Amino acid sequence: MKFALAGNPNSGKTTLFNALTGSTAHVGNWPGVTVDKRTGTYKKLDEKVEIVDLPGIYSLSPYTPEEIVSRNFILDEKPDCVINIVDVTNLERNLYLTTQLLETDTPVVIALNMTDALSKAGGRVDSAGLEKELGVPVTEISALKGTNLSELMDKAYKAAKIDRKGSSVIKNGILSSVYDKVYKLYEQNGIADAAFHAVKLIEKDELETKKYPDLAEEAGSLTSEVDTGLFEGDFEGVVADLRYKYIEHKFSGLIKKAEQERALSKSDRIDRILTHKVWGIPIFLAIMLAVFHLTFSENFLLLGLFIKEGTFDIPILGTDALNSPGVILFNAMDWLTATIGDAVSGAMPEGTWYTGLICDGLLSGVFSVLSFIPQILVLFLFLSILEDSGYMARVAFILDRAFRKFGLSGKAFMPLIMCFGCAVPGIMATRTLENEAERKRTVMLAPFFSCGAKLPIWAAFGGVFALAYTNLNATLIVYSMYILGIAVAVLASLLLKKTVVKGETPPFIMELPEYRMPQFKNTMIYLWQKLKHYIFRAATIITGAVIVIWFLTSFNFRLQMVDAEFSIIGIISKWFTWLFVPLGFGMGDKGWMFVVAAFTGLIAKEMVVGTLGVFAGISEDEALEGSADYLFASSLGAVMLAIGGTLGDIDVSVPAMFSFMAFNLLSVPCMAAVAAANGELGGKKNTLTAIAFWMITAYAVSLAVFWYGVFFKVSVVAASVVLALIVAALITLAVLKYKGVIGAKSAVKQSIKGE
Amino acid sequence: MNLAFAPFNTELTVTKINADEKTSRHLKNLGILVGGKIVSMFDNGGNVIVKVKDCKLAINKALAMKICVA
Repeated sequence: MKFALAGNPNSGKTTLFNALTGSTAHVGNWPGVTVDKRTGTYKKLDEKVEIVDLPGIYSLSPYTPEEIVSRNFILDEKPDCVINIVDVTNLERNLYLTTQLLETDTPVVIALNMTDALSKAGGRVDSAGLEKELGVPVTEISALKGTNLSELMDKAYKAAKIDRKGSSVIKNGILSSVYDKVYKLYEQNGIADAAFHAVKLIEKDELETKKYPDLAEEAGSLTSEVDTGLFEGDFEGVVADLRYKYIEHKFSGLIKKAEQERALSKSDRIDRILTHKVWGIPIFLAIMLAVFHLTFSENFLLLGLFIKEGTFDIPILGTDALNSPGVILFNAMDWLTATIGDAVSGAMPEGTWYTGLICDGLLSGVFSVLSFIPQILVLFLFLSILEDSGYMARVAFILDRAFRKFGLSGKAFMPLIMCFGCAVPGIMATRTLENEAERKRTVMLAPFFSCGAKLPIWAAFGGVFALAYTNLNATLIVYSMYILGIAVAVLASLLLKKTVVKGETPPFIMELPEYRMPQFKNTMIYLWQKLKHYIFRAATIITGAVIVIWFLTSFNFRLQMVDAEFSIIGIISKWFTWLFVPLGFGMGDKGWMFVVAAFTGLIAKEMVVGTLGVFAGISEDEALEGSADYLFASSLGAVMLAIGGTLGDIDVSVPAMFSFMAFNLLSVPCMAAVAAANGELGGKKNTLTAIAFWMITAYAVSLAVFWYGVFFKVSVVAASVVLALIVAALITLAVLKYKGVIGAKSAVKQSIKGE
Repeated sequence: MNLAFAPFNTELTVTKINADEKTSRHLKNLGILVGGKIVSMFDNGGNVIVKVKDCKLAINKALAMKICVA
């Protein structure tokens, strides 16, 4: 048997799905978390039941690709029963979908969700009255607490065994006689879901008209007699109006809404501040900065300002300042992996090839990746809290105003924000976008939003460089990478809109969920999934790749053990390294190492630090002295600081580091993301365009970052001149556009094209 | 008057929707249709947040200007 979960977006379908099947699917507090159907099994009935969780829909006339998935499943795959989840705090809008589901011949049961929230706020609902009016079983549940779930499933099981005939609420009202006649036409032709099809035909639905042209003609002559009044022949509008009128008339007496003390609820008052037209974006940026501070700062709450030098030095906790929670956990993990590493290498014979493989290759590479787990989890903890509270939906709204001109609607920011976690689900979430051009643009921008696998790169370089150069700050280095990603994405969007993927920015309409306390269980499930995913990758792809890298770096073509520089990879990489000399990180005698690291990053971004870890393991570099910080005192730190080296007699390590990070941020994200992009872009040609676009953007931005950094170091005057030139060019452009010079030109071009 | 310039916290009635077919279908599904009630809560530089059938919706300025209310 097969039951489908259907309901409005954000009504709690996935929470119910998890509760019924024991799954741990991702739940969020914004509409559109689920973009594809997923299945699980419910085992507490006489037979096993397959439960299908569908993406949320507002109606059976779909608007976005993921809504089509739901509609097609309900109509074509004929589940034995549809469990319609209805959020009672928003009854009218939820019942709108219910009136449509009841038009199909599929058995339906109603799960009234969030009744606990309603009664807590002083409201109540008459579920017996609802059941009587709708003619299908109704159960009050709490998906979150798991209340009444077995009762719901018993009712669904019983309902599934009884045939049901769909009927429509429009059988009363101005369309009643038309509906009766069209309904009979379908029935005579033996077509299932007659009520559903009849309504669609009256609405003049495009698909329905094409499918039954003869019936459409008859229906057309019937509807032409009807006076649609204000709707001016818009039968879809008439039908929608009938549904809402029916709901209001029949159900408004059955629910007592929560009493409101003031005109604006708590959520509304919070929104007034967080979506403020001036303060909205600064507040968002400040929240993100605070998140990064808590995750990466080695000077927690700037306490270092108040601690005298030399008075505070506790391993792991900090030196002359308190570390942020993220860094404390990182240090602890680092200490653990270093201790294990030392113990293993101490126990093994020196100088053999297998000691090299295990200590220099495997442990050094894999541990350098694993030690970042705490910081990744801390960052995701905060992001998950922000998402679960409902804030991220507001971020989409405030960013819409800022970035609409650049071709990005606020709705496109939801998938992009997901990319902060991982680009793969982010790319899949673009299915919530209704406009195809915008969807393609968003997929192509996805890698620019720094994902969890890139975080070790920022954390490692940020940590080492902040210790080596007193004018740098780890939190700001990491923050700058996230901001750079967003900035490049916005500019790239404008570029794509004008060139490859043209098309207007679609209108923005989005439901803003009520704020709520983040659910502990949701957060833990999310973190657990992330942890599992990261460890799985470390144990498979990363371990495999690290062994390959170690082999290629330790042996030459004749399989003799040699110094890294003369190894297979050392020789091959030199054919390419010159390409990256202009970007800074290809410079110097260690330049090839960073080129190799960046290349391995194209497969999986965790590999960047993993590869550098292998190089550090086999290189003879002495650890840097005089610091309690493990990473700084390690040979990995020594390798990282060697980036760029010197240009003439100037140290260009810092610009080279930023250029290297920018390259890793913007280039091909990983093979999994390429596969996901291929699925959404539909076609090899588009995917290859996307790959080329990512690589060119990465190269160009890194080039700009490096040389800007170098000039800035050489002379403040030179840097300011370059900046002034850029600003002047932009102002000229803006003025020309304002005066209509550029706009007029393109209008002429368009008219020529048009002819 | 259109929704982008409508007074706040006043119950209004939608009189006309000038959006394209696909968008206006989505609006209908969300409860914004001719004759329906709508309350504009506050704006964010033209983009508005409205309440329709107990549900809060965010709408960008260009679309809000296509929704006529009285």
